Amino acid sequence: MKKWLSVILSLVAVLAFFFGIWLIGRLINPNLNLDQTALLRFVFVGIGLLIVFVVYLVTRENKMWEVGTRQVVYMAIGAALYAIFSYLFNGTVFVVPSVSQVALRPAIVIPMFFGYTFGPVVGFFTGAVGNMFGDALTGFGLSPQWSIGNGLVGFIAGLAWLFKDKKQGLNWVLIIGAAITVAITAFYFLNASTANGMFFDPANNIFGDAPITVFAGLSTLIGFVLVLLVRFIFGKNIDVAAAVTWSMIGNLVGIGFAALSDIWINKYPPAVAFVGEFLPSAGPNLIFAAILIPILVAAYFAVQKQTGR
Amino acid sequence: MLVTWRFQKRKSFIQSFDPRAWLIFFVCFMASTLFFWDLRFLLFFAGIALFCIFTSGVTWKESKRAWLFIMGFILFFSVLTFLTGRGGMEFYTTEHIFTKLTAQFTLLGWRPTLTITAEKTIYAINMLIRVFSITSMTILIPYSLDPCLYGVAFRGLGLPDKISYGMDLTMRFIPTFGRDFSLTMDAQKARGYEIEKIKGGLFAQIRKLAPLMVPVTIRAIAGSEDIIDAMDLRAFGIGPRTWIDKLYYSHRDRFLIAGGIILLAFSLGVNLLGYGNFWVPQFLINLAP
Repeated sequence: MKKWLSVILSLVAVLAFFFGIWLIGRLINPNLNLDQTALLRFVFVGIGLLIVFVVYLVTRENKMWEVGTRQVVYMAIGAALYAIFSYLFNGTVFVVPSVSQVALRPAIVIPMFFGYTFGPVVGFFTGAVGNMFGDALTGFGLSPQWSIGNGLVGFIAGLAWLFKDKKQGLNWVLIIGAAITVAITAFYFLNASTANGMFFDPANNIFGDAPITVFAGLSTLIGFVLVLLVRFIFGKNIDVAAAVTWSMIGNLVGIGFAALSDIWINKYPPAVAFVGEFLPSAGPNLIFAAILIPILVAAYFAVQKQTGR
Repeated sequence: MLVTWRFQKRKSFIQSFDPRAWLIFFVCFMASTLFFWDLRFLLFFAGIALFCIFTSGVTWKESKRAWLFIMGFILFFSVLTFLTGRGGMEFYTTEHIFTKLTAQFTLLGWRPTLTITAEKTIYAINMLIRVFSITSMTILIPYSLDPCLYGVAFRGLGLPDKISYGMDLTMRFIPTFGRDFSLTMDAQKARGYEIEKIKGGLFAQIRKLAPLMVPVTIRAIAGSEDIIDAMDLRAFGIGPRTWIDKLYYSHRDRFLIAGGIILLAFSLGVNLLGYGNFWVPQFLINLAP
């Protein structure tokens, strides 16, 4: 009980601290409101951590929350792999060229795979810490809300552990994923003229000088269809089907969280945050998940079978 | 086999501090730098970074590769920023044009044009200095922090044992997996795999990445069994962990922490008062015809 109280009080204290800063800050400088300060990034870090904490509270009896030696080592391996792949593929060493204005981040499959295979704690650490180290290595500085968003990708992929039978809950996850995909694709068609993320002009409320391509706009839908195909083609290999399906929802929610936060942090209008930012990153991520996750899962389970561990 | 960062014990300014104190100062420095887009403030942070570099004792010979990569990266993005104005439009809406350079040729009917403005120039310089300050301080960490002290330093900063050890292992694994990636790339090249020529559509590109990512990942997981066994044999996680090395704060460490916190509080205060935003020197604006 004492432990719970201290955790909750710590979270409340962090939030109160940021609230206090905002309250005092805007009195000193009227122009300084919540949507104009970098501190908001940390508010979203708090919100992201709160989401994780609430899920933990609700499901704390589940053994997926146990962190032993194995999990600590996998956390470190996942985070290091995510950092090194981010550095190699997104830096200047070995750049994967972008296609049709989409950002190709093959490294994203690492938090998805580690989350699904080793649980939500490993997935969250892999995504959040790996993204932080990757950004530091590449020289991008730190975007804490994006690190938390990446952490959520791995965390949600790991929620498959909530179910003893991996088939359980899969259809619901697909239905939720389908609903998000349809909604975001419809949103794209309603805002198809929204430009991509190269320039931002607050005066004219535009972001970039060219609308995103149809391929980028439809990339989430294409990715979802691929996930759906994998789900049913690998119906008998439930690990492959479940890994891809849970990674899909993790990607939509995690990247969605980070894009949503930019509505307040970077003052992006919703159309810019979702059409200009979410679609070109979450869509290709889904395509990566649909192609690379089955290969990783198949290879891992083959090795596991061989070693007996 | 684990590969380590190129750490060496040196008589340097950074290494004269407790690693916890240095990490706290580093975080405060980085957060403070991110508050500013004003060249005058950014030059102050660049000054701190330069002081740390020159007193770090890290030689050019040993860190050449890292510096060349980072400088190439920073210059590439700064030039890109200068050419396109990428990102700068968040800070200014009007531009004072110096000159407009128009190419004598056309590309598929498009004539490349470069508009040089005071705002674009200052923004590119700001970007260069800002990223240089942060990355150069980051580069110094692996060269200056003893790998044996990663875990105990994170523990000393208040993280739980398991998370501290996880962070410790993460930092140790990064160079190892970097080496594994190079080995895998060489092995694939020897088999005729043309990594530099990843062509084709999106799906073809993704498929061609599998021979690089999958072996490195699976090898890392399979190889971790030895580490897990070694940790289990030492009863990792059974009770509160003890660390071989102990860290003690000295007066100079407390001064450094206080300095970092004051720097952060100062930056926050200055930012709250509305200073430190994007600034263009008046003489540059006057230069525009």
